Amino acid sequence: MAETFNREEFVAGYLAEAEEHLQLSGASLLRLEESLNKGEPQPRLVRELFRSLHTLKGLSAMVGIEPVVAISHEMETILRLADQSGSPLAARAIELLLAGLKAIEQRVRSFAKREPIPAAPKQLIQALTELVPVAGATLVRVQRLSLPAELQTKLSVSEKGQLAQGIGPNQRALRIDFTPTPERAARGLTITTVRERVGKIADIVKVLPGSVPKSADSPGGLVFTLLVVSAADDAQLAEAADIAADRLVIIAREAEPPYPPELPELEIVDEAPQSDSIRVSVKRLDDALESLSALVVSRFRLSRAVTRLRESGSDVRELTQLLNEHAREIRQLRTTITRARMVSMAQLLERVPMLVRGMSKSVGKQVRLKIDAGRAELDKGVAERIFPAILHLIRNAIDHAIELPAERERLGKPSEGTISITCFERADNRLELCIRDDGCGIDRVRVAKKANQPVPPDDATLLHLITRPGLSTQEVVNDRSGRGMGMDIVKRVAVDTLGGELQLTTQQGAGTAFTLRIPLSISILDSLSFLCGEQIFVVPLASVEEIVELGSANILRSPSPGKREVPISMLRRRDHDIPLVTLASLFKLQKIETQSAVVVMRDQQRFAFAVDKMLGQQEVVIRPLEDPLVKVPGVSGTTDLGDGRPTLVLDLLSLTSLMITPRQGARS
Amino acid sequence: MTLHVLFKVADADYALPASEVLHMESFVGATRVPGTQPHVAGLVQIRSRVIPVVDLRARFCLPAVPNTLDSRVLVVKHSERVVGVLADSAREVLYIDTALFKPPPEIVVQQAAGYVTSVAQVGNRLIMLMDSRKVIGEEVLHGDH
Repeated sequence: MAETFNREEFVAGYLAEAEEHLQLSGASLLRLEESLNKGEPQPRLVRELFRSLHTLKGLSAMVGIEPVVAISHEMETILRLADQSGSPLAARAIELLLAGLKAIEQRVRSFAKREPIPAAPKQLIQALTELVPVAGATLVRVQRLSLPAELQTKLSVSEKGQLAQGIGPNQRALRIDFTPTPERAARGLTITTVRERVGKIADIVKVLPGSVPKSADSPGGLVFTLLVVSAADDAQLAEAADIAADRLVIIAREAEPPYPPELPELEIVDEAPQSDSIRVSVKRLDDALESLSALVVSRFRLSRAVTRLRESGSDVRELTQLLNEHAREIRQLRTTITRARMVSMAQLLERVPMLVRGMSKSVGKQVRLKIDAGRAELDKGVAERIFPAILHLIRNAIDHAIELPAERERLGKPSEGTISITCFERADNRLELCIRDDGCGIDRVRVAKKANQPVPPDDATLLHLITRPGLSTQEVVNDRSGRGMGMDIVKRVAVDTLGGELQLTTQQGAGTAFTLRIPLSISILDSLSFLCGEQIFVVPLASVEEIVELGSANILRSPSPGKREVPISMLRRRDHDIPLVTLASLFKLQKIETQSAVVVMRDQQRFAFAVDKMLGQQEVVIRPLEDPLVKVPGVSGTTDLGDGRPTLVLDLLSLTSLMITPRQGARS
Repeated sequence: MTLHVLFKVADADYALPASEVLHMESFVGATRVPGTQPHVAGLVQIRSRVIPVVDLRARFCLPAVPNTLDSRVLVVKHSERVVGVLADSAREVLYIDTALFKPPPEIVVQQAAGYVTSVAQVGNRLIMLMDSRKVIGEEVLHGDH
């Protein structure tokens, strides 16, 4: 078993799932908190949260992270009881559950980094366990109110809460039906007097008048239902209401035993969300994309072959038609794979409310977050790169833009600041994302002073100033009106790396908005860079078979066969010869001195390209070249290696066509 | 009266309707793309966009000169394509009465190989209206190989 079990893969799977459940839980908790503030219980949210935590616990047990198991177990207990009681979670409970999530997250992070995992925090566990009996009466041990639906609907949420929360040791919630009759009235028993009498031994939550069929027992056809919470016994209550003791209905009481030690699992199976999606590693999608590239190369050769056929006078109309169809299908396939890599912005921003909550609390500010992510989607690679920039902008807004509550009130603003994040997909395949705050705005005079520059006349110049790498964190970090912290990083990611745009509008005293426009998808790959004829090129690492040092290599310069423009030599290896061309001659560039050769493999055959000098290996973001002026075989796109100039990304595989085509031509 | 951007190539004055020009940038060299036509100077990264640049001197079959501080890239937009055209300098924007533009004399037509659609006499200058669509080539996007 040890051999077949792949820990790496298992751990990666665990981390991905844990991350997802942490996010889900965080989001549910915040929604719960919101609904609590509004006084609307959300049993569905409690169950969702429970499910996420339960899964997290199970997963963590499988990889053996005991502290996470312990924490999530305690959290689960609270939730399970809350769900069974149907009562809302108390604010304190939410606070503790949030702390629990944070503790879990820390431990999952340690696990990911292979660091020792801290034990479950004792205080937190204790607080969570204490919550069960303390809040027990309200939170935990109450059963659902057994009341007919027509009565339930007449109760407000808080009245239901009162009934549920009145339950404690010896306290029960009861329903007392009082039927006024002339005979009772004669004895001085009307609803008013009964209300007083019952009120002495019970808390009356609500009195509901109702109608019943007229009968001897109720000549008026009227009945009053008193919903009460009381510690008094049946006889006392029956006496107070002048009814038979067996007519009392207990609608809720403390569960016996307080809560069953063997609580039934929540209906996880029945209620599992029906989902038609599966989790796929990005690597697999990348593999698919790579296979597609191979397909595109062979398709390129195919169309060249057809062109030659046509030139030799054959009728290729049917072939051409097929080729066009084929091209369309390849484009569709590319679109499909690209779409599979997209993540929804709503999902990406799920963690933001949690983070905003933490950040604003730590600086003593009140921040309301509004997110409108719509249905926008973004490539996973872009999402991963842009997310830190989004966080940066939010953190800046909280730290520097939103004023303290007292200050805001003094300025006549609502004490709670607002940060809104909106995004939508533009028609040009870009995502427009706007992060807006209603804080103090950027003080351009102060920024200018810090930067030792003239005061910027407009927002564009101001943006340029605050995104200068020179305007470093130290001077501005404590300056509430300044905003320079890490803005150069935001610009580097959004503009330089992703090829997007960054825009600023700010109004002093009223707020600031940053607008990012970034491409929805990008291709990222590991690449090798090299120098050839004083120009830097990169090639995808995956396409490179090997690098050969030419200094000591045995090169056979064959006499040029025919009128070949670019001479092909043979690179002699131990077991075989590899055709070798000098890339600089192929590209008609100034040849310096070729030190190395990049070897690629195509159809089981190796081809070598001599280059001046290998430079290094890096991950690059590739931008496709679309304009027909620069669409040439062998160049698949450009990238920015950090010098602000485009660097060409070469497709050496398709360049091998140039090496073999003449020979094929000679044959046909 | 239409606003035009004026620029110079080999001491001759050319114009483009300002509506076709997105913006102008100084030119500090382009990344050459092997295998492209001789008039393609290469790629430049301007305002986060990578665009090809057409060297007007090469396009007009004029002798090449080294770039100077005056060299300008006029970023031109045609339907979905955004392409730069490289001029020796570009310093003026001018309102020109479109009625002033007349069909070019035969000699200009020959020299400019169809890249000049009309000519206007403004003051003592002869200003040639350039056909940017023709200069950047009428190739369509997403064409199949």
